[in-house]
Amino acid sequence: MTQESWINIIVPVAIVLAFLIIGLWARRVVYNNLQSKLTKMGWGGRGVLIQSTRGPFFFWFLILGCYVAVQVSILQENIKEIAGRVLASIFIISIIWLLMILTERLLNLYLIEIKTPSRPIRYIVNGVRITLLVLGVLILIDFWGWPVTPIILVLAAAILTVIVATRDALADIFSGFELVAGRTFKEGDFIKLGSSEEGYVTDMGWRNTLIKTLDQQTIVIPNSKLVRDTITNFGRPLTKSSQPFRFFTRLQLKELTGLRAASVPELLKVLKNAPDSVIYYHTHNFLEEHQYLTPEPANDFALWVYDSLDLPVLSEKLANIDTLEYTSLGALRSAIITVIERYLADEPKAKTAKAGVEFNFIKSVIAVIPTPYYASDLREFVEILRKITIDSLYFHIFESRLRLKSKSNDFSTWMRTGLGENDLADQIEKLVPYTTTLEGLRSTIIRQVEKRIK
Amino acid sequence: MTDISINEQHFQTKIDDYAPVVGKNTIDELKMLGRHLSGKVIQNINSTYSGGGVAEILNRMMPLLNQLGVDARWDVIQGNNDFFDITKKFHNALQGQSEQVSDDELALFIEVSHQNMDRLKLVGDILFIHDPQPIIFIEKKPEYGRQWVWRCHIDVSRPDSRIWEFIKQFVVRYDAAIFSAPNFAQQLPIRQFMISPSIDPLSEKNRELSRGQIDAVLNKYGLDAEKPLVVQISRFDRLKDPIGVIDAFEMAQKSSDCQLVLAGGTATDDPECASVLSEVRERAGSNPDIKILLIPPESDLEINALQRAATVIFQKSLREGFGLTISEALWKGKPVVASAVGGIPLQIKNKLTGLLCYSVEGAAYALRQLLANPDYARKLGDNGREHVRQHFLITRHVRDYLLLFISLGKKEEVIYL
Repeated sequence: MTQESWINIIVPVAIVLAFLIIGLWARRVVYNNLQSKLTKMGWGGRGVLIQSTRGPFFFWFLILGCYVAVQVSILQENIKEIAGRVLASIFIISIIWLLMILTERLLNLYLIEIKTPSRPIRYIVNGVRITLLVLGVLILIDFWGWPVTPIILVLAAAILTVIVATRDALADIFSGFELVAGRTFKEGDFIKLGSSEEGYVTDMGWRNTLIKTLDQQTIVIPNSKLVRDTITNFGRPLTKSSQPFRFFTRLQLKELTGLRAASVPELLKVLKNAPDSVIYYHTHNFLEEHQYLTPEPANDFALWVYDSLDLPVLSEKLANIDTLEYTSLGALRSAIITVIERYLADEPKAKTAKAGVEFNFIKSVIAVIPTPYYASDLREFVEILRKITIDSLYFHIFESRLRLKSKSNDFSTWMRTGLGENDLADQIEKLVPYTTTLEGLRSTIIRQVEKRIK
Repeated sequence: MTDISINEQHFQTKIDDYAPVVGKNTIDELKMLGRHLSGKVIQNINSTYSGGGVAEILNRMMPLLNQLGVDARWDVIQGNNDFFDITKKFHNALQGQSEQVSDDELALFIEVSHQNMDRLKLVGDILFIHDPQPIIFIEKKPEYGRQWVWRCHIDVSRPDSRIWEFIKQFVVRYDAAIFSAPNFAQQLPIRQFMISPSIDPLSEKNRELSRGQIDAVLNKYGLDAEKPLVVQISRFDRLKDPIGVIDAFEMAQKSSDCQLVLAGGTATDDPECASVLSEVRERAGSNPDIKILLIPPESDLEINALQRAATVIFQKSLREGFGLTISEALWKGKPVVASAVGGIPLQIKNKLTGLLCYSVEGAAYALRQLLANPDYARKLGDNGREHVRQHFLITRHVRDYLLLFISLGKKEEVIYL
């Protein structure tokens, strides 16, 4: 071989070797930088990206070296062109292969994070593989100058059909990705939707998210709805009580005693012997029946002596009895009797009510009913308090204290013994429930609890 | 047993349809109470499937009870005209009117009652007997057992003593009696409960109407939609004091430009209706602002529209049973002026949910106050609507019945379910 022949061989080989060395050096520099930047970003897919692209990155330098070597070689022009096309095709195939590997690994990473079952993962990965493969084949066909339009039309029609058929599922799946990527919430968080659903996130699936509500129901919410709705994330639960607070409600039946009073002495006589449930009824009836009125509705005795006997002084004295001062119905009865006896001592002349407006003594019979609501912490408590009935609030504030002989209202008792929230318990205990509407009372308690947990 | 023919509209109303009105929790409570009665049969017995307040409320209530899982059934007694003439006399006498009931008539009442007792098969765990007509069924208690409840729908606060004593001998054998108002209660050795009647917010008479529907009714009767409208809805009966309403209206009209509508029907069993109507027309004379409307009994939509168009609603009765027209008016958020009689004070707390009056002058004064103070009138109307929402809707009525059925046989004052 002549010296010229050796040069014709050595130069292309040297070029290939040079690109190999440059490729190794460039890979080292580029990937060191990339690694540090992605680490700073905290992106979970950095490992997948780096591992998947390191090999191809070097391979592309090799292809480039071969291409340059061919171009500087002494080969015929038509052979150079064919070699160039083959190398370009290899490059396209490597790109497609890399995209397939990369997307498969990233999908696996994220779909597992949102607990997608294995079968859907397989479907999605295969779908992506096929899509990329078809795309690569189309590019190659086009690159080699063969017609691709008919194939594209057929494929477009097929894809459109699939998209239309699975649009809801696709919307949910992509919303699931968005929720994970956006870190809107995570499992264990307490969330509240604009559409009023609320509860703890128990499972984030590829199409739906499961929420356990405060009444222990599990509701399934499509991810696409979650993406569209307003979500308030209250985060992780607060300190839990070992004994959850069970909300009860109570419903009342009015039992007629058949006893009547037409004058103050008759009222006094019946009061002395009436059961506690009668005293309870007539000191709380107006408050309960007209709970939307404020301020401080009077007891039935005060109202009756004013309306039917026209005795404003006695009415004022009876209205002034502060029910909250008494921890038992017996003590409350004694206070009422004392007021009436003192009045009769000064005004012994009795007025008589007209027929039809006598005082009818009624007894309160209640049914205490458990609700499905339990609160283990103050967040749960306040959210349940927003939705329970007025009867439930009434039971825990009034009925339990005076009628069921608890020393305090139920809320304060639980906060003190179950959560150690003594200050909050004291604040609620100090509220005077008789001077506000029940809705007003509900709002005040909610405000106090929210202030504590913010 | 006779087939029950309940208006189809009532079947279409679902218990959950009431949730937007009373709240979902209230409906959930009803469902829970219903579960406590699972497996029990509640057998209602009264005198008719149609016509009258008892049939109307049962027509509405039975489908709701069944939807709540309660096996509620309904049977009616049968009788000839003589029998029902006697029970009509009972009805009037128990409400305080003077009636002559002979011993022969009492004997016929007992005889027909026994025929019904032989004919009608008892299947209930709780026998729910309505009003005096089937009251003698209690004689079956020794052989049949179970729980027996007498539901008295009428005002027995001042009954004719002879008829009351006759009825009472049966009442005292029941396990419990139910009255609609506290002053209807009697000294009885059995437990007595107060369960007020109710209105159905989804019925034709009480449902929401569009402005167009209301205007159509006003146009039909030639009423001015721009002029304050005072309305009293009640049949033409002296006890409803239509003349007193006109007197009060004309007193108030001197200071306020307004119009009055007296709308009602005539009862076929009340021969006085026609003469009262004639007197009312004569009293109204040529006053162009007073309209006397004789409307058929089934004109619920028109009554609804007139109430909703009203600025003030009157119920100036001299005597009243429970007076559910008050709840109907309050439910429409209207300020009401009413006499303090019968069950009206249960629905109106003076100056809080309406205005009570005791005279024509008092009614005129109250009307002037309301026409001159629309904000005050609106506040009374708002309070009144809330009061009805909580105490006089059919859901509360159903709840009370369910609670009563559950509490039968329990002596405790606090029952844990």
